[in-house]
Amino acid sequence: MTEPGFRRTTVGNVRLHVLPTDRFKTFAVALYIGSPLDEEKVTLNALAPFVLRRGTRSYPTTQLFREKQAEMYGAGFGFDVYKRGDSQLVQFQLDIVDDKFVSEKESLLRQGLRFLGEAVTKPALADGHFVPKYVEDEKETVRKKLDALINDKARYAAERCLAEMCKNEPYRLHPLGAVADIPGITPDSLYRNYMSWLSDSPMDLYIVGNTSEAEAKAFVEEAFEFPARPSSPGYASSFAPVKVDRVNTVVEQLDVSQGKLNMGLRSGIGYADDRYAAALMYNGILGAYPHSKLFLNVREKESLAYYAASRYDGHKGIVTIQSGIEVGNYERAVQIIREQLAAMKAGDYSETELKQTKAMITNHLREIGDSAFEMIAYDFNTVLSGKERTVEQIAGEIQACTPEAIQGVAETVELDTIYFLRDRKGD
Amino acid sequence: MEVITIERLQEKLYKEELAGGLTVFVLPKPGFSKTYATFTTDFGSIDNHFRLAGGKDIRVPDGIAHFLEHKMFEEPEGDIFATFASHGASANAFTGFERTTYLFSATDLVYENLKTLVDFVQHPYFTDQNVEKEKGIIGQEIKMYEDNPDWRSYFGLIAAMYKEHPVRIDIAGTVETIAGIDKETLYECYNTFYHPSNMILFVVGGVDPEKVFELVRANQAAKTFKPQGEIERLQPEEPAEVGVKEVVVHLPVSLPKMYFGFKEPSGVPKGEALVRRELAVKLMLDALIGPSTPLYQTLYDEHLISDSFGHEYNIAPDYAFSVIGGDTPDPERLLARFRELAEPMIAAGISAADFERTRRKRIGSYLRMLNSPEAIANEFTRYRFSGGDLFELLPLYDSLTLAEINGLLREHFDWRRLAVCTVRSGEA
Repeated sequence: MTEPGFRRTTVGNVRLHVLPTDRFKTFAVALYIGSPLDEEKVTLNALAPFVLRRGTRSYPTTQLFREKQAEMYGAGFGFDVYKRGDSQLVQFQLDIVDDKFVSEKESLLRQGLRFLGEAVTKPALADGHFVPKYVEDEKETVRKKLDALINDKARYAAERCLAEMCKNEPYRLHPLGAVADIPGITPDSLYRNYMSWLSDSPMDLYIVGNTSEAEAKAFVEEAFEFPARPSSPGYASSFAPVKVDRVNTVVEQLDVSQGKLNMGLRSGIGYADDRYAAALMYNGILGAYPHSKLFLNVREKESLAYYAASRYDGHKGIVTIQSGIEVGNYERAVQIIREQLAAMKAGDYSETELKQTKAMITNHLREIGDSAFEMIAYDFNTVLSGKERTVEQIAGEIQACTPEAIQGVAETVELDTIYFLRDRKGD
Repeated sequence: MEVITIERLQEKLYKEELAGGLTVFVLPKPGFSKTYATFTTDFGSIDNHFRLAGGKDIRVPDGIAHFLEHKMFEEPEGDIFATFASHGASANAFTGFERTTYLFSATDLVYENLKTLVDFVQHPYFTDQNVEKEKGIIGQEIKMYEDNPDWRSYFGLIAAMYKEHPVRIDIAGTVETIAGIDKETLYECYNTFYHPSNMILFVVGGVDPEKVFELVRANQAAKTFKPQGEIERLQPEEPAEVGVKEVVVHLPVSLPKMYFGFKEPSGVPKGEALVRRELAVKLMLDALIGPSTPLYQTLYDEHLISDSFGHEYNIAPDYAFSVIGGDTPDPERLLARFRELAEPMIAAGISAADFERTRRKRIGSYLRMLNSPEAIANEFTRYRFSGGDLFELLPLYDSLTLAEINGLLREHFDWRRLAVCTVRSGEA
């Protein structure tokens, strides 16, 4: 990558990160607002973006708001609510067409930022709080989303495994909150939470595209009406390894055609750790790729599954395994997976597995620069974890990673929870 | 080698048809680290009955195009994923109604990976044993889809709409239909549809077009491809009416999920008319029921729909239909209200302001899509096989007229050709 990295400044105690580039056809904008996962606030925080997108000071009805969006060539406006480590994140996004492809009187970046600034900081209000109809509608929307978690059985099983595993930690909370919290929320309580959320939360605004730091900053200053923010907080590093004493097995029954097997493992290693690259290698060899142990042994050798993979969450230090199998093959699948985990502990991997995994991880890292949003997401991980590490640096650590280092990671990995979603037939 | 400059998009497309019949396209993206390449055949789940000029009539089991895609990765020396992985390439494949695509993405050893891609797809290796083994894996894939409410309602709707046309069959087939697949039939499909003249190679990213063409030219020249006549794709007579008006599927879901759609009496032959109709109908649907419309807002305010409510339009030479819907607490009421609200709007037509705004929105989506090498390769190939050109859509958008959109509006919503598929929890 020949471009320089993000230029960083602040606006109203909000961190602004700008990457000038002309490689893309759009401006990518992302605003991250974070809070600690907290059962008192999780649902209030999650509900806020749903209400904000219903109307703003200048576009008080949802139809007007969306028409404005459409007029700006779609604007790619959206938001997401998810969890990372012990933080709940709300991420707003815009993907605005670069002016050179269309003829607009006013810069589309300026229009887009103004639109986002309205959405986040100038909501439509009634009597000094959110519009009651919007709040009622969106309470309903969030409730339906939480109820609908059960629909996608593979995802539901993965969520349930984590909820069981982390039942004594904030991570057990779903990022959208809890259905039980919803009835008690009022337009006023939501608004008050939103105001303190805006004034106290760590915020990071990213802009990638054909602009300059100065121009972007000027547009942001003009567009956003942040409340007075006493400081520009970072994220508390909350990573703490958890000791496992015994494996907890949970079986749930629903009318499913295929059994969903999920496992959760604790690793002592987080994103900020010096051993992070080795942890990525561990996960890569175990189950991240079609050449990995899980794919080869569960799917290809035994034909037990279509998907058999592992994922590593560096913010939480958790490895998860997912596989969809015939209910009757549960014991066999668990046995094969345990064998792969044992092989990892024993350092049983070939030169080829090592080489292939290094090549795949390095490839993935090098591809990040080809996408504005991937670059933003990567950089935000460094902000969230407090660990500065460029793509080049981590790629170098991956290349240099030794089997001993990977085995060192394997020694810290312990199976914590097995969760199996199966049908109601038989035993 | 031909160079096509697309001024408005600031892109340059390189093209060449090679010995053997393969057409190759290269879209260089200076400054990009990765290269993404797709090798696609014009063969999908709907091609279950065909004949080569002068040959015999062949019918193949449901799910065979997808099965073939799975088996392609196996070679005598092992799985080709391993070769790609050793060269740091992320490889994959997928099968749709009309096409099967093999692809890789890599930032290093790009030309080696390109050679691997072309060679492995042009070298089928099916044995009785490796065919048998795949049945278990695909069986699990099928079961995975069986548990997915989105999948079941979407494909359930198509199966209801179409009585005879193979668009109604499951792309992966069923456990029963794949049980009947053998290596001989796989080779028969392969030899018919994987001839280079029926395929497109598209390479996009940080590559040198000259080097790509040199490599692929030499690669193809070293292989022998007998010239092949036209493939006759035999499609059954499909009545204009829907097969079944209403279908219900029982799955454990929190709320019912309903998709309904309108079946158009026929498709449009490949070429500009097909491409234009697709763009125009999609714009029309967006203008009538997109998220910024009064229809959408009213249904949302009445709590009949949520963010999951969307729409889609599929068109091919011999079928065309819309799919509309999402999660709803009351499918019957949603459909009734939809009709009540839509009918006067359809009669009145879309306004000039709404048309202009929607056109801008669609143009924005199109430009946004062009940031993605994956989308470029796949959409270009799709349009090419349909007789169109992904890079010529802006002038097409510019030329659409309000009258045209309103004509399609009235034409499309024929309530006699409505079908509905609902997924809901079974009675307790």
